[in-house]
Amino acid sequence: MKSKSLLFIATCAMALNLNATTDITWWHAMGGRLGEVVNEMATKFNNSQNEYKVTPIYKGGYEDTMTAGIAAYRAHQAPDIIQIFDAGSATIIGAKGVVYPVADLFDKYGVKFNAQDYISGVRNFYANSKGRMIGSPFNSSTPVMYYNKDAFKKAGIKNPPATWEEFEKDAVLLKKVGYIGLSQSLSPWTAGENFMSRHNLQMANKNNGFDGFATKLYYENPAMDYHWDKLRDWTTKGYFKYYGRGWADNQQAFYDQKVAMWLGSSGSFGGLRKGAKFNFGTTYLPYWKKFINPGAQTFIGGAALFVFSGKSDKKYKGIAKFLQYLTTPKMQYFWHKSTGYVPITKAAYALAKKDGYYKTTPDAEIGIKQLSLPTQKWTKGYRLGNYVQIREIMTIEFENILNGKKTAKQALSDVDRKADKLLAKFARTYR
Amino acid sequence: MKKVQFNNKFIPYLFVSPQIIIILVFFIWPSVMAIYYSFVMQDAFGVSTQFVWFQNYKDALLNSDYYASFGFTLIFSSLVTLFSLSMGLFLAHKTNNMIKSRGIYRTLLMWPYALAPAVVGLMASFFFNQSHGDIYRFLNQLGWKFDPTSDPFSAQAMLVFIASWKQISVNFIFFLSGLQGIPKSVLEASLIDCKSNSKRFWTIIFPLLAPTTFFLFITNITYSFFDTFGIIDTTTRGTPMGQTKTLAYKIYQDGFLGADIGGSSAQSVILMLFVLVITIFQFKYLEKKVHY
Amino acid sequence: MKNTFSSKLFSHVILILASLMFLLPVWVIVASSTHLPETIVNNGLQFFTGHNFINTYKSILFEHSGYTKNVTAFRMILNSFIMAMGFAIGKVIISSMAAYAIVYFRFKLATFLFWVIFLTLLLPIQVRIVPSFEVLADLNLLNSYTGLIVPLIASATGTFFFRQYFKSVPEELLEAAKMDGANSWNFFIDILMPLSKTMSAALFIVMFIVGWNQYLWPIMMTTDPQYSTILLGIKEIYQSNFEGTYLPEFNRAFAMTTLALIIPVLMVLFFQRLFVKGLVDGDK
Repeated sequence: MKSKSLLFIATCAMALNLNATTDITWWHAMGGRLGEVVNEMATKFNNSQNEYKVTPIYKGGYEDTMTAGIAAYRAHQAPDIIQIFDAGSATIIGAKGVVYPVADLFDKYGVKFNAQDYISGVRNFYANSKGRMIGSPFNSSTPVMYYNKDAFKKAGIKNPPATWEEFEKDAVLLKKVGYIGLSQSLSPWTAGENFMSRHNLQMANKNNGFDGFATKLYYENPAMDYHWDKLRDWTTKGYFKYYGRGWADNQQAFYDQKVAMWLGSSGSFGGLRKGAKFNFGTTYLPYWKKFINPGAQTFIGGAALFVFSGKSDKKYKGIAKFLQYLTTPKMQYFWHKSTGYVPITKAAYALAKKDGYYKTTPDAEIGIKQLSLPTQKWTKGYRLGNYVQIREIMTIEFENILNGKKTAKQALSDVDRKADKLLAKFARTYR
Repeated sequence: MKKVQFNNKFIPYLFVSPQIIIILVFFIWPSVMAIYYSFVMQDAFGVSTQFVWFQNYKDALLNSDYYASFGFTLIFSSLVTLFSLSMGLFLAHKTNNMIKSRGIYRTLLMWPYALAPAVVGLMASFFFNQSHGDIYRFLNQLGWKFDPTSDPFSAQAMLVFIASWKQISVNFIFFLSGLQGIPKSVLEASLIDCKSNSKRFWTIIFPLLAPTTFFLFITNITYSFFDTFGIIDTTTRGTPMGQTKTLAYKIYQDGFLGADIGGSSAQSVILMLFVLVITIFQFKYLEKKVHY
Repeated sequence: MKNTFSSKLFSHVILILASLMFLLPVWVIVASSTHLPETIVNNGLQFFTGHNFINTYKSILFEHSGYTKNVTAFRMILNSFIMAMGFAIGKVIISSMAAYAIVYFRFKLATFLFWVIFLTLLLPIQVRIVPSFEVLADLNLLNSYTGLIVPLIASATGTFFFRQYFKSVPEELLEAAKMDGANSWNFFIDILMPLSKTMSAALFIVMFIVGWNQYLWPIMMTTDPQYSTILLGIKEIYQSNFEGTYLPEFNRAFAMTTLALIIPVLMVLFFQRLFVKGLVDGDK
């Protein structure tokens, strides 16, 4: 009798214990449809086991999410996982002790992990100079070029331009049939940072900031000067148009068939496919043959997942499991297919290939291929402090070039000069 | 002060303490912290702090962005004050002259006061938007290359317009009240002395409104400096080229979005001093007013 | 007054135009909220109401679609209401008490404390915003109604409002009360405050609107969407519309906007006289 009731009590106790799941909060910046996919992935993970429950919370755009994370950390109320974008990486990585590097986390909690499993263009951005990953790349994309096939046909052009030299020739023909050649979104990213990567140009001292707090920016250089003076030149000739800072506005111009080519994200094809009333194709970011041939690798934009320090052992176990889950080929392929972001591991890429995904959707492969080009000295990305403000300065000065107010050399020198001050300030803060 | 008062020693402190306590905790303490922070440099996450004396003040004051913001704030406030004060006065005067429909017009012109600056900004952002906005289209049709996303002047003009639009009702309410407070006898006397409507207005009525005008002047300046935050944050957010940031908005941007606590605190202290000057000025004038 | 017909007509025209200048933009937004998103994207803002009213409003008020949209508009309106009520009531109580002390008592620190209260006018919110966050975090008041309401109620405007009014109350009132044996507490509760009913109501109305329309403070002091006010809700929805690449759901944005402005506007309209009194009589 006694033993029966004891058994009963013990069973209840066990049942209650089993139901005590550990909560893991994940702050992210994926809105709209992307957010829905995030929720799906979290739900899948939660359903696959009952020790941990991941709760994704949308915090607004990248900047808002980072701001919220900073505020929460200062209030001792940080979430467990946070999605931080490329421009914010220096801020969160530079603050000693704020995050738990994922490489260390994986080592401690027995998650098998090899950095070489990652596609080369993805591997380095969120790692330290020794190759140890601090953040776990999550949504990665790279700039690619979209072109209007119908417009090209009309103009009698067979293939999209691989180089900017070819572009210039194509733009003349396109203008004749009523199209402006090109528009581009997020110029600092598509025609600044990745332009330099594509031409294997150094961005800043201290190994682009990976070896320490960079204090000098090198955005003014012959290739950038040449390219941006050309953009101004093309603006006056009607080969290029700037539709303002909004990502969507420059994309809209391509959508509305005002421009025949658009520099966007490797993930943009999904949205374009849905509504574009014309045939379009995807191709690599062009480069200047006179500065490099062939063009080099680009690096990832987007964001990574960082884990805050100071959490319990139990939570870290769960976080490690969850991050591992996200990087399985199956989940990567799912994320890649649903959103257009590139799969970050070679295994996931192979899975997609095997599945025939790229036969039906060749657009999706361009970004990965561009990222898979061999890594060169200056194609690893950057780690620069106060980078959000630096991007702001870049945007302003780019506008000055396109308005004809400054030459590229003047404007870019001003970018370097102002950025150096911001970089110095950032470095001083961490002494 | 009142002639008849209580002489209790203890009770008054009881009555006044809730407010004082809240002031100490939520006004004084944060302000002291702001002063402290203005002398340090700290990273976004608060893990490394360094004492840097007046470096932040130097950085702020020697920065061209600060001057752009300062200049914009001054011009912006002057224009908004000018437009909304004059429109408010004009409409109040016209309404006051109405006899039967005064109440109706008063209602029709005062309700916008209830709109939050942020709400006004959000609505306006739609009207001025380049893809969907009717006003945007209209202005471009008129020949003005209006483009708030890339042309600072367009953006600044747009903000002046929006901020003035919102503020007119406030001035209207006060001016109307002030006009209605003018004794009938004065008005009747003025009818005899002055034949011209406008002369009568400017030489008799307007001077009587001086206290109201002065009060509204200060209110409008305060509004343009601080309360337009909601409008800016929902429309331009400081773009293009950082030319549409008021000093108050810049503090928010640098402090919260830029995570520069030292720099933004220094700017806060500077702004505090500025407000102090304005308030002293206001009080000196009010003291004179007591002898009216 | 030389009121010729033409000058009267002119005045009417001006006033009507001005009224339309205010009414039209807001009306168009409200009307557009009742349309389908496609209509707005393709045809711009609508002047007449559409047929999508129930759908739109139902969806934003009660839809709670999983993680991404964390909170319903209904909840946000509730938060705004609690905040505005708490703020307005708190202000009336605290300010009247402090003003009472300053006006009706002779005590040592009276002048000093008066200036401390006055000091709050020099410290507008933007000046103390960043450290205020830390203070609230340390007191564990982030994401709480207390944190949203209490720090805001101590500014000087309410106190000056009551001070002004109390000073105008005839001396005889207090003399009579003293003769009847009333102590300071009785006087305040039984005589002065009932007398100040109208003024309190007026201040309440004005402060309710101020509290409802708070923007920066809730942005800073809440990180949990469950505590979002309706103003924050609109900001989020507009942002996702202009920054996203999907078909913008403007009808929902406009519906939220309508919800955000309808309460304060109705209050001003229904309590017009009180409202004006609260504004005008208070700040002189």
